[in-house]
Amino acid sequence: MKILNKSNLVPFLEGLGPEFEVVAPLYEGQDILFGDLGSSPLATDFIGKPRLSPKKYLFPQRERLFTFNVCLESIEIEAHFNETKRVIWGVRPCDLYGLKFLDLVYLKDYIDPYYQARRANTLLLGLNCNETEESCFCSSLGTGPFAKEAFDLIFTDLGDVFLVEMGSKAGKKLIEKQANLFTNATTLEQVQGKLLEEKSKKTFKTSIDLGKIKAKIAAASGNPIWAEEAVKCILCGGCNWVCPTCQCFNVEDIKAGHKTQRVRYWDSCQLGGFTQMAAMNSRATQAERLRQRIYHKFSYNPDKYGGKIGCTGCGRCIDVCPVGIDITDILWRVANE
Amino acid sequence: MKKVLTTCEFCGCGCNFYLGVEGGEIVAVYPSISHPISQGRLCIKGWQGHEYIHSPERLIAPLIKKGNRFREASWNEAYQLIVDKFNQTITRYGNDSIAVLSSAKCTNEENYLMQKFARACLGTNNIDHCARLCHASTLIGLVTTFGSGAMTNSINEIEGADVILIIGSNTTEQHPLIGDRVLRAIRKGAKVIVVDPRQTQVAKLCSLYLMPKPGSDVALLNGMMNIIITEGLEDKEFIAERTEGFEELKKTVASYTPERSAGITGVPKESIIEAARIYAGSKKNIIIYSMGITQHTTGVDNVMSCANLAMLTGNVGKQFTGVDPLRGQNNVQGACDVGALPNVFSGYQAVTDEKIRNKFEKAWGVNLPSQSGLTVVEMLDSALKGKVKAMYIMGENPMVSDPDLNHVEEALKTLDFLVVQDIFLTETASLADVVLPGVSFAEKDGTFTSTERRIQRVRKAIKPLGDSKPDWKIISELSSHIGYPMDYESPREIMDEIARLTPIYGGISYQRLENFGLQWPCPTPDHPGTPYLHKGSFSRGLGKFSPASYKTPAELPDVDYPFILTTGRISFHFHTGTMTRKDWALDREYPKGYAEVNSEDAKELGLRNGQTAKVISRRGEISLPIRSTETIRKGVVFIPFHFAEAAANKLTAANVDPVAKIPEYKVCAVRLEKG
Repeated sequence: MKILNKSNLVPFLEGLGPEFEVVAPLYEGQDILFGDLGSSPLATDFIGKPRLSPKKYLFPQRERLFTFNVCLESIEIEAHFNETKRVIWGVRPCDLYGLKFLDLVYLKDYIDPYYQARRANTLLLGLNCNETEESCFCSSLGTGPFAKEAFDLIFTDLGDVFLVEMGSKAGKKLIEKQANLFTNATTLEQVQGKLLEEKSKKTFKTSIDLGKIKAKIAAASGNPIWAEEAVKCILCGGCNWVCPTCQCFNVEDIKAGHKTQRVRYWDSCQLGGFTQMAAMNSRATQAERLRQRIYHKFSYNPDKYGGKIGCTGCGRCIDVCPVGIDITDILWRVANE
Repeated sequence: MKKVLTTCEFCGCGCNFYLGVEGGEIVAVYPSISHPISQGRLCIKGWQGHEYIHSPERLIAPLIKKGNRFREASWNEAYQLIVDKFNQTITRYGNDSIAVLSSAKCTNEENYLMQKFARACLGTNNIDHCARLCHASTLIGLVTTFGSGAMTNSINEIEGADVILIIGSNTTEQHPLIGDRVLRAIRKGAKVIVVDPRQTQVAKLCSLYLMPKPGSDVALLNGMMNIIITEGLEDKEFIAERTEGFEELKKTVASYTPERSAGITGVPKESIIEAARIYAGSKKNIIIYSMGITQHTTGVDNVMSCANLAMLTGNVGKQFTGVDPLRGQNNVQGACDVGALPNVFSGYQAVTDEKIRNKFEKAWGVNLPSQSGLTVVEMLDSALKGKVKAMYIMGENPMVSDPDLNHVEEALKTLDFLVVQDIFLTETASLADVVLPGVSFAEKDGTFTSTERRIQRVRKAIKPLGDSKPDWKIISELSSHIGYPMDYESPREIMDEIARLTPIYGGISYQRLENFGLQWPCPTPDHPGTPYLHKGSFSRGLGKFSPASYKTPAELPDVDYPFILTTGRISFHFHTGTMTRKDWALDREYPKGYAEVNSEDAKELGLRNGQTAKVISRRGEISLPIRSTETIRKGVVFIPFHFAEAAANKLTAANVDPVAKIPEYKVCAVRLEKG
């Protein structure tokens, strides 16, 4: 474990500059969003999470996959792999879990070369949460507020200094390259980190009972809650767009002259047109689509990925919903009705 | 990834989001969290509706028609042709032989320039835009009663109301972030009454839903007022201190007994009584209305009746009380504010007022016409009569949006010369002699004014595509070519001119708009803006009760055409679909039009859900699949107007409100046949 003086954070991140593009949470007015270091003031002591996860750097909202040109006797194809070397600092534990989960989807059985290219060139520097927001419930899922894995480095805010833990060789190398900025952490400082974790766990205002949910979810498909909540849905797709684990996409061919671009976009399972390439959305009603979103994360994903839940507990889908559909309310009813 | 904070280009909510830019393309959208309306949320159009910006169908060079085909041309060639034709037209037929349509999609600065161009450069007040087709009746109705024709509240006040009466607004679908506030109010215990011939989403979530016959609103509102007065529930103090004309109102509504009102509207009298009691039972009441009120030949009467009801119970001029017309387009409020109307300069200053005219003549350095100009529908009628010879249309698509399209087509084809400025070769642009390529909101700077009178910045995120140019640039260059120089460095300079000449925008500057804008009236540089109107006194002094008697719609169903057609929008598309139909996600939801028919009617007609039917009116016919549903009143057919190939407006009639000249899109007679 190392110690980095807070005043050395920017020099450290800037020091990565020549080799890496550095992305961090930035203040945009009063909003906190991930962006290029230096383009807006750096946010280091914010509570909760940036409103969007850094998923977009690995799986963008809109991504050109390749361009092709069908000639008389051949097809020219040019793939657009993004191999920008990038460090993302300030990734919250929920989002670290989200990316780890995406790795399961895109790098395990099925390998997505576009995700792979971006992922192989990205280092994740986490930032533990000393305090949580109203909508956070990661502690119920074991994904936070302090991260145990899925990072190259993880930072804990001890006040004037960051306690820095290494999670990978690549992370370790980052420290070694600028070793002069770091000192070794004392036992006291390490204990301080532990205490902060315990303190942070007490700041949660929202929780769910995962064990009970897992036991009851299969029987909840007929619960009236799906229809009761779905009637409010205005089909904005927000819950999907902000979710760190939502992975569904659509591809479109955009033809301009002789060349055609194949572009992929985030898609939303809440829309009627979702999976229309397979004739239709097999979930005809909004209630079924809402149920699908919850079941996918809490039932189908764990079945497929060795018990891993497809939810990070970040609560962004609660914050983004214009009509107040709250995943924790739904899960409570799933567990208790 | 570069991030650019800007204002949404779709509806009047005025949400703000960041556009993420990479390699000169928009690759991401994320809502602003601290913005007072968005609060980190958007609707589907905000999240995923901007794909049209990079569409290969975008116009990237001026086009000149030769024979039946367009060829690309240089800007100078296009300008020169327009200059020659406009000059010839004016010389031969006079200034008023040219008419201009401005655009509620464009910025305030562009609309201001367009009306300046019409008035100062072409010398005509023949300028109008699609506000005529949506809220012309609001302007007149609310100016008559209150003295100002805009939403009286701020959007965030809706959440604090105890009672919300939604009449003729499909709020959650058409103004999703305002719908959000309604649902929040419901969660806090507010009672919501919805009046609509279609049981919309918000009608399924409200406390009381009334399903009236289309076009019977005055009878319903008079009926409610009758009950309020009979039961002594009116706010006597407010009436005495803040209003005039109460006795006339009392006299008029006296005959609208619950029985009579129920008879006309088809709503059970118990529901009307309940609605009246709920509405009169609270002191924090908001009325939300939209096109269901305005798009009638009695549009002005409908609007005034809403205002009467609010004044009767003292529900206007205080926080959480008011009358809220929801404006449909991103900048329809602003386009009106800056004078893209035939009778007023910017800030609703009458062209017929000599003092006002002198002010503008001095500022603009020309003599200005003193007679009000033509409205949208009148322009097309005048074209058919040979009085209007040339038109310049910016960012509007009357070939899909205006009533009675066959008539529109005939009128546009009659013109000697038509210039269309747009980002796509729309149905209207296809008829043009010259097409000028403007740009999308992402390629220019400017401001939009939202439905809550909030003037907000639009910021350039990417360069104009190809040879296209920002619309303000095109207007100023064209004007300079014609001989009235307009020399603006940037939209900021145009806003400074607007502020100098427009009292309600007097305190507006780009610098002051940085923090999510200001709400007009904002007369001076130190004025904080106005969250809600008519505090203390109405804009006109006393509020004026303006009673209206029920009049039937212009075209009623009969034996040959037994159904009422009512038209509107759906949440995934916008207006004539030129933008949204080019977005894969939005198009995928609704790739084509449909007719919503009551399931009993469908059964009687022998039509199955999804089966194609012919819908026929006296003016035209279209074929489209039907959606049979219980959520529409029996005898009523609903068709969204977005779809050019099954254009609802081939069926609608150009019957207009006698004062506001707004067409009656919400009622005409049709019959259905198996397709």
